[in-house]
Amino acid sequence: MDYIILSVTLLAIGMYGLVTKHDLIKVLISIELITAGASMNFVVFASLMNDSLGQTFMILAFSVDSCVTAVALALAVIVYRKLKIIDVTELSELKE
Amino acid sequence: MMHNMLLETVLVVGVVASAFFAMYLEETVYAVLSLTTMFIVLSALYFSLNAPFAAVFQLAIATGTIAVFFLAGEMLTKKTGATTSLKKKLLGLAASILLSIPCIIGTEQTKTFTRSTGFSISTALWELRAVDAIAQGLVILTVALGIVFLLKEERRRS
Repeated sequence: MDYIILSVTLLAIGMYGLVTKHDLIKVLISIELITAGASMNFVVFASLMNDSLGQTFMILAFSVDSCVTAVALALAVIVYRKLKIIDVTELSELKE
Repeated sequence: MMHNMLLETVLVVGVVASAFFAMYLEETVYAVLSLTTMFIVLSALYFSLNAPFAAVFQLAIATGTIAVFFLAGEMLTKKTGATTSLKKKLLGLAASILLSIPCIIGTEQTKTFTRSTGFSISTALWELRAVDAIAQGLVILTVALGIVFLLKEERRRS
């Protein structure tokens, strides 16, 4: 079993979502997949080396990630309430 | 040994399939549920890798918090109304199983790293990363309060 390939697969699925999806929630889900793939490396390497330090880093990284998700979702809800837009391409057009 | 290998294979296929469906499904609710499933299966994978703290944390934070955030976000925004047909779902399942094959047949190169610090979780967290842990607690508290104020202000205005 190669967990590095699993991590890369999660990263690839997340990148695919970031590139192709326009729904703001789907974009955030893509970011979640990428961070899940990244933090998985900490646990896998920690497990293979029989070390707890990787688990600690995963816990710290995931705390920050959950904060980022909470803020991003709050902003998404506010943007939707104000502009009635959930499509990221329409949001980027507002800059012009 | 064989039993453990089979369990890990099932978990890896589950992680890849649920991650793939989180992106592939048009219905946002089902995509969020698929993401939640991925977090749960990933947590089980961490248990099988002898990382119980990471597994419990993943289960509590990812499944308990992030999934609820996403569901709330989905409920508060509009629904696209798009659906995925059964044929497309089956195609997606086949694609996700194909995607998980490299992980299953891949040989593990990471066993060459054998250096270990030997720290326990509590030592690593409270002696090495104590400032980080406390600072993160403050960040989480600030974020929670900030979101409450942000949503309250927006509600007051509307």
